[in-house]
Amino acid sequence: MTEIQTIAEAGKLIAARKLSPVELTEACLARIERLNGTLNAFIRITAERALAEAKAAEAALMAGKSKGALHGIPIAHKDIYCTKGLATTAHSKLLADHVPAEDAATVVKLADAGTVMLGKLATHEFAWGGPSFDLPWPPARNPWNPKHFTGGSSSGTGAAVAAGLVLGGTGSDTGGSIRGPAAYCGVAGIKPTYGLCSRRGILPLAYSLDHAGPLAWTVEDCAILLQAMAGHDPQDPASADVPIPDYRAALAAPIRGLRIGFVRHFHESDNPSNAAVKKSLEAAADTFRRLGADVRDATLPSLEDWHACGMLIMMTEAYTLHEPWLKSRPQDYGDFMRDRLSLAAFFTAADYIQAQRMRRELCARYAEAMQAFDLLLCAATPFEAPLIEAVTKMSSFERPSLTFPFNVTGAPALALRCGFTDAGLPLGMQLAGRPFEDALVLRAGHAYEIATSWSKRRPAIVS
Amino acid sequence: MPKPRIAKETFEALAARAGLPLTPAQKTELYEAYGYVEAMAERVRAGGKRAPLVEPATIFKARG
Repeated sequence: MTEIQTIAEAGKLIAARKLSPVELTEACLARIERLNGTLNAFIRITAERALAEAKAAEAALMAGKSKGALHGIPIAHKDIYCTKGLATTAHSKLLADHVPAEDAATVVKLADAGTVMLGKLATHEFAWGGPSFDLPWPPARNPWNPKHFTGGSSSGTGAAVAAGLVLGGTGSDTGGSIRGPAAYCGVAGIKPTYGLCSRRGILPLAYSLDHAGPLAWTVEDCAILLQAMAGHDPQDPASADVPIPDYRAALAAPIRGLRIGFVRHFHESDNPSNAAVKKSLEAAADTFRRLGADVRDATLPSLEDWHACGMLIMMTEAYTLHEPWLKSRPQDYGDFMRDRLSLAAFFTAADYIQAQRMRRELCARYAEAMQAFDLLLCAATPFEAPLIEAVTKMSSFERPSLTFPFNVTGAPALALRCGFTDAGLPLGMQLAGRPFEDALVLRAGHAYEIATSWSKRRPAIVS
Repeated sequence: MPKPRIAKETFEALAARAGLPLTPAQKTELYEAYGYVEAMAERVRAGGKRAPLVEPATIFKARG
């Protein structure tokens, strides 16, 4: 099997001058050449630009001018992150020719950290409409079995990271769009605290729920990427002006004594999960106990409450953005996005205000529950990745989401692998914390990851 | 899928009021899914028991 380094591993090798950013970029481009036709992870590959950036990184590093752990690391951006001079389409015909004049704030930050950009990654249309087969580009497919769904909407990012086409990538999460792909594609992805990473320059889905964040092979790699992405942006009205800790340094502290609330009712009754998911979560809880954490059952409001609140807010805010096009160019949307979003037209202003009042109540109940715990452990998805053709247009409404609670509260939530099915598909779990305790969430995820061997396994397609 | 409580004719009137140019097939499909809209709208109302002092999470703050 061709070895695929993590960001941490590649960074060490690059710093030791045992690996060139050019070699690393060429290896990623070769894997993209070989696999992207099957996986559809990229909708735009910027090979020449990437090699130029890699050469510049190499020259800088050889001159002793390192920018840090991400210098020379190949990444790519979800195609809702505006990239200056490079089409940013939201995977939609409506924006097929949209070329931004400015980079998104986090694109600038990652470039300043020395990353090498390989291109733009597939997404669900406007970060919700997918997986769709009626768009200008096909949907991304799961590297563990290309007949299966990647999860969405950071579908291309999940697939690209799992297959080693990039070492890390950007995603966005309004209702689970980083964590769903992380779970289904067997990688790590964090939805940071709301406002930690600037939303400026990321095409919005729902203003009060959109979060920017990274996906990568490991939790440590997510910490490295988050370090670059996080920080106050005065031009983002939701941006939090808080000190940014050293996320990577914080990983090393032990988790002995941490109080972890296991939200069993989420996957046992609220959104009943299959046997494989249940077993993997119980095993994860046991691993945390062996690491010295105090794991007890926790109770939060029902997933139906979180789902109604979050979905109503998301749909109505998204509808306000799309209303002009839905009325003037409905035929230019894919069916999934157009019809899912059209349902939002039937909500009233009173519905939206009630949902926001409910949001305040739910946040208060979350804060109250978190007085007894440092972290929460819960399911990320109720089952492993389904067949891509089995995902229906109205699937967003059929089951209450396991991921919405942490968008509604803005609390940090990490999805990471916690096992595999007999058929070799990844299983994922979530760790969540209090707002702005992202470092603690990452620390617990890292401790779990190094205590288990799941991250040693790559999809067979990569061989 | 929860069944919509309103009649299809009422749904079509709401669709017309919203100004969405829906095809007959879309009207049928969206009407079938309208039960989800009703369920969410009902759920966020908490049976009308929410205390008046619970303010929306979007409350505006004046800045100097």
